[in-house]
Amino acid sequence: MDAIITVDYQQRIVLFNAAAERMFRCAAAEAIGQSIERFLPQRFRAAHGAHIRSFAETGVTNRAMGTLGALWAVRADGEEFQIEASISQVESGGKKLFTVILRDVTERKQAEEKLTAQAAELVRSEQALRAQTRMFQSVLDSMDEGLVTADEHGKFLLWNPAAEKIVGMGAKNLPVKEWAGHYGCYLPDGVTPFPTDQLPLVRAMRGEAADCEMFLRNPKLAEGVWIEATSRPLKDENGVLRGGVVAFRDVTRTKAAQREIRKLNAELEQRVLQRTAQLEAFTYSVSHDLRAPLRHIAGFSGILLEEFGPTLDPNAQHYLQRIEEGTRKMGLLVDELLNLARVGRHSLSLQVTGLNSIVQEVVSILKPESGGREVEWKIAELPFVDCDPVLIKQVLQNLMANALKFTRPRSRTVIEVGQIDENGHPAVFVRDNGVGFSMKYADKLFGVFQRLHRAEDFEGTGIGLATVQRIIQKHGGRVWVEAELDRGATFYFTIGAEEQTQQKSNAAMVGA
Amino acid sequence: MNSREVDILLVEDSQEDADLALHALRRENLANNIFVVRDGEQALDFLFCREAFAQRSFDHSPKLVLLDLKLPKVDGIEVLKQIKSDPRTKTIPVVIMTSSKEERDLVDGYNLGANSYIQKPVDFHQFRETVKQVGLYWLVTNQPSIVNGGKQTAKQTS
Repeated sequence: MDAIITVDYQQRIVLFNAAAERMFRCAAAEAIGQSIERFLPQRFRAAHGAHIRSFAETGVTNRAMGTLGALWAVRADGEEFQIEASISQVESGGKKLFTVILRDVTERKQAEEKLTAQAAELVRSEQALRAQTRMFQSVLDSMDEGLVTADEHGKFLLWNPAAEKIVGMGAKNLPVKEWAGHYGCYLPDGVTPFPTDQLPLVRAMRGEAADCEMFLRNPKLAEGVWIEATSRPLKDENGVLRGGVVAFRDVTRTKAAQREIRKLNAELEQRVLQRTAQLEAFTYSVSHDLRAPLRHIAGFSGILLEEFGPTLDPNAQHYLQRIEEGTRKMGLLVDELLNLARVGRHSLSLQVTGLNSIVQEVVSILKPESGGREVEWKIAELPFVDCDPVLIKQVLQNLMANALKFTRPRSRTVIEVGQIDENGHPAVFVRDNGVGFSMKYADKLFGVFQRLHRAEDFEGTGIGLATVQRIIQKHGGRVWVEAELDRGATFYFTIGAEEQTQQKSNAAMVGA
Repeated sequence: MNSREVDILLVEDSQEDADLALHALRRENLANNIFVVRDGEQALDFLFCREAFAQRSFDHSPKLVLLDLKLPKVDGIEVLKQIKSDPRTKTIPVVIMTSSKEERDLVDGYNLGANSYIQKPVDFHQFRETVKQVGLYWLVTNQPSIVNGGKQTAKQTS
């Protein structure tokens, strides 16, 4: 509602409508008769007077709203505000009357200012957005990962340069069911076409997250491309599914490297197996063939001693006995070497075996050897393991016989067989309070013919622990030792990675 | 030695092993009628009464064959196979002399029906004891089978 004020030539108000009353917060009765200058800020009053007079002299009857631009007015309570005004003049009865129509533009001005500010803000944010877009664009352009997004209808929204390079072609909007065929997608075997509905992007468009490996028959690369792809659904701010995004990277070289490593490992493994087999075959035939001449030496010296012994002088008899003793030791050696070779040649016949029963068996086998000695066997509860019981019995027999042997100088022998937890797997140990050895020789211990004691002190062939190690290796396990000179030794072994640690549930079966 | 009346046929290519075996058998008075052949071909000629042994008769088959496995020309397993697959010879007890456990497993693997085994031990006394027991069992304890009657009474033990 515009305010209408009419003034006479002396600028006295003669009309002051209701809108003017509201605008100037001044009742008409109060305003009428007063100078219009009352409603002008002090600083404009002089100019205003001059303006009205010049307007009166122009003879122009009307100046439209806004032509004067924004003007300032003052309310009765002194508050200044902005207005637009139109002015018209009429002569009535020789008197000039000027009518101004006033519009309070405070709000509009404020709105305009706000709008200007908003426009500036908009420009700024648009610039920022452009900068961000440029940044994302250069990220997308420079990244090695292929990135593709599609809306829920399968229309591609993004297909970055890496995607084009990896796939060997750009985006082409086709029906989704033709994607796998068009872009040459195959399962990791390289020959089975990838089911389109299982493509990571298609799954993402269904709202699923997917990770997979894929072979792409890139038309620009003869050998194709292996990729690893990760996809996620695209959702709008309301959580509504709007398509999917898939990121993928070229793993062809990694895969080739892995294949090469696997191939080399397999070759190496094969070569080791061959060499080991050759060595074992050699050991076997040598020790096998050594037996015959040994048998002959032993046989004929035995006959000699038996049939001609009484006629020989004591020295000759003694030498013959030395020959006999030598052949006996060599026989033992050959037998143990054969045994070691046999371990390597034979395949494992695995069965779940309770180690407690084997240990008990070994204890009774060793009983004659501990005759006259005070020997305490401390046997703990042992696990059930998947192993070749014949070979594992040999392991335990060798270790326990060693324990018995190297405790011989002790007045009281304690041999402990138990288990510890070794990285979540049971490790069985055989511990003695015997003469022990210095750990600086520990690495020699499991080698063939390696001995840490003089034969006069402790007899032996130096093959027993090598056999133990070979058997444990064959079971995929590990054997190690802790010892201290004169403080006893503890031998530990594990059996394979797939040990069955079910001794708790099978505790009742231990029985024996 | 007369090849017609033979208790034991010893098939052994090693002169030393043959001598040791003979010595052991002699001690037990089991060596009176032993015939030694040195390869598998000779052994088969002897047992099947042919070539140099054509004058022999199946009626006088040996009471025991001690058979080494590693033999020139025809190996011990082949000899055993032929003995055990011919009705005229299959009832003759054959004791295999092995050098190792593996050899024994090998023969068992063929399932040829060896009657017993001697593992030639390095230890002379053990060897002699084994030879003695095998010889006594097959020559003295065991009742020989009636070869030509087609009825076999020999205990097939090992």
